Amino acid sequence: MGTYLLLDVGSTFTKGLIVDTDEVKILGHAQAPTTAQTDIVEGIEAVKAKLADVIAAHPLTATRLCSSAKGGLKMIAVGLVPDLTLKAATLACTSAGAKLVGTYSFTLSEREVEAIESAQCDVLLLAGGTDGGNQEVIIANAKALSRLTPRFPIIYAGNKSAADVAVPILRQHGFTVSVSDNVMPTTGVLQVDSAREAIRAVFLDTIVKAKGLSSVASVIENVVYPTPSSVLDALSLLANGTPNQPGWGDLMAVDIGGATTDVYTMHQRLPVSDNAMVRGLPDPLIKRTVEGDLGVRFNAASVIDHLSRVESVDQGLSDYAHSLALHPHQAANPDFDVRLAGACARLAAQRHAGRLESAYTPMGRIDLQVGKDLRPLKTVIGIGGPLIHAKDVQEILSQVRYNPAQPEILLPVDPHYALDKHYVISGLGLLAKSHPDAVLTLLKQTVEELTHDQS
Amino acid sequence: MEKTTVVIGVIGADVHAVGNRIIDYALTQAGFNVVNLGVMVSQKEFVDAVIETNAKAIFVSSLYGHGELDCRGMGDLLKEAGLEKVLLYAGGNLVVGKTDFEPVEEAFKAMGFDRVYPPGTDINQGIADLKADLAALG
Ligand code: B12
Repeated sequence: MGTYLLLDVGSTFTKGLIVDTDEVKILGHAQAPTTAQTDIVEGIEAVKAKLADVIAAHPLTATRLCSSAKGGLKMIAVGLVPDLTLKAATLACTSAGAKLVGTYSFTLSEREVEAIESAQCDVLLLAGGTDGGNQEVIIANAKALSRLTPRFPIIYAGNKSAADVAVPILRQHGFTVSVSDNVMPTTGVLQVDSAREAIRAVFLDTIVKAKGLSSVASVIENVVYPTPSSVLDALSLLANGTPNQPGWGDLMAVDIGGATTDVYTMHQRLPVSDNAMVRGLPDPLIKRTVEGDLGVRFNAASVIDHLSRVESVDQGLSDYAHSLALHPHQAANPDFDVRLAGACARLAAQRHAGRLESAYTPMGRIDLQVGKDLRPLKTVIGIGGPLIHAKDVQEILSQVRYNPAQPEILLPVDPHYALDKHYVISGLGLLAKSHPDAVLTLLKQTVEELTHDQS
Repeated sequence: MEKTTVVIGVIGADVHAVGNRIIDYALTQAGFNVVNLGVMVSQKEFVDAVIETNAKAIFVSSLYGHGELDCRGMGDLLKEAGLEKVLLYAGGNLVVGKTDFEPVEEAFKAMGFDRVYPPGTDINQGIADLKADLAALG
């Protein structure tokens, strides 16, 4: 028997979803506005009040929660070489739902240590060295970090052979340290799952309390994720399916918010374009990127800034965007909003997608592929309030399409579009591990496919 | 005792993959931990891999005749990264045609290579030299 209340807190609306996992039914959903001033608990109480009838008729088995409260999970990644362990560390953080507030490579300098001291950091991920590889740098970095006030937990995800030296140094100075598998056990091999789980565990243990969620934590069982992490679980299930039910196959999702835009891609295997050589660290099959400078309200001006570098932007749109940054709650202009959201989708997708680079060699030109080739992708899903309420979702989402004028950017050529119309993805992700079949069925039912050529 | 790590790869735009696999196999059999970067490897990728893996030696292969061009500056790059102690060897068909090998060897040594091998060298020769050089370094 299972009736679950699934909560998504921390954004402008607190969202609640009640799911019966036996009947495979969504029994109800509700939203309540939250402002920076309103307490998270108040938002939850308001949602529960709206769902009181459902809860009365169906006693809850448990409540699960995902949170992006106080700007989400803020992390710092430390690695050795920028293109190797630092990149792997960065990918581990973003795929756990974090937003990076700092990245550091090689031996930390005094100046960098000071920057870390004053950064707003919830968790620090310390990597460096392949297993059996370089130990000096990660040990030196552990020593440097140990001089800081232990305000945040540390995840050690570096050279396993240096853990027995580095970890005790940090613990002796009061840091809480959890040890995961190395994010790069051998050169060029990514292994982020264990670090990702460690980040989630730390999120539950320490962040939830720090972010004022402890009063609700008592009513919540041991599933509390950063919101993007829950979205990832749901999307991965929707893409891959379960042993009993096929999924939708490889897919992309774009989550547009007021301040940030997230892009997710889910692949069964790494897509490589014909006659190209893959260079650089391979992208993870489950990839998330988060753009902290692209959003339709608080970052509208920054979107215009980026846009004006590649095309001319008309004055009306520009004025609107700049005034939004000052007055985010002013009356909306639906046409301008479509264009702003479209620009967020396009710019964020371009940054996420792989690229073909030409190299001129003694043998003539060759193509090098860096990152994922998304051209064959068939499904693009829209997530987030600005999309749900948009005048023309299809117009916004179609901005992520491959552009023949920029053939080097490997975006989907001919996808169809779907929308998380009822805002269920983040909530359902909380049940993805424990009830995969029920969640997959519900996702397929509620994530609505948009007709192919509505535009 | 921990195995000594050797980074291997075929430099530049060179795709000759067969010798690379044989070198991987031979070094592994000889008790080394091999980090094989494959074909079409840039100088930076060699250096990055050495830093992360704490490798003691690099075996650079070049078969297609442009080795001299591709290897230029590699010794300096290692010095810049504080890795001047890392042993740097090159082999394969380093330059075009069957020119005299002496000037080739000289040119590569001037670029910072510790050992340079003519075409058709048995890889076991390189492994024997590596063991001797490592022993000499202590
Ligand atoms: C197969 C082959 C190809 C295949 C490669 C397929 C593949 N993916 O591997 C293909 C058809 C793609 C190819 C293409 C070309 N090839 Co070709 N190829 C050969 C061939 C016939 C065999 C290479 C081979 O596999 N040998 C077997 C392996 C085991 O030997 P090896 O590679 O030499 O490696 C051993 C030793 O050299 C040594 N070794 C190597 N590195 C090192 C490093 C150290 C430190 C040590 C100690 C030892 C060591 O140990 C290795 C293991 O035993 C050779 C000719 C030949 N018989 O060698 C030409 C040859 C190498 N190719 C040649 C050329 C010119 C080309 C092309 C430029 C042709 C063109 N114009 O397009 C292109 C280049 C493409 C590119 N970007 O790299 C020339 C190079 C001339 C030169 N250097 O002066 C050769 C020598 C043919 C020739 N006589 O003209 N080639």
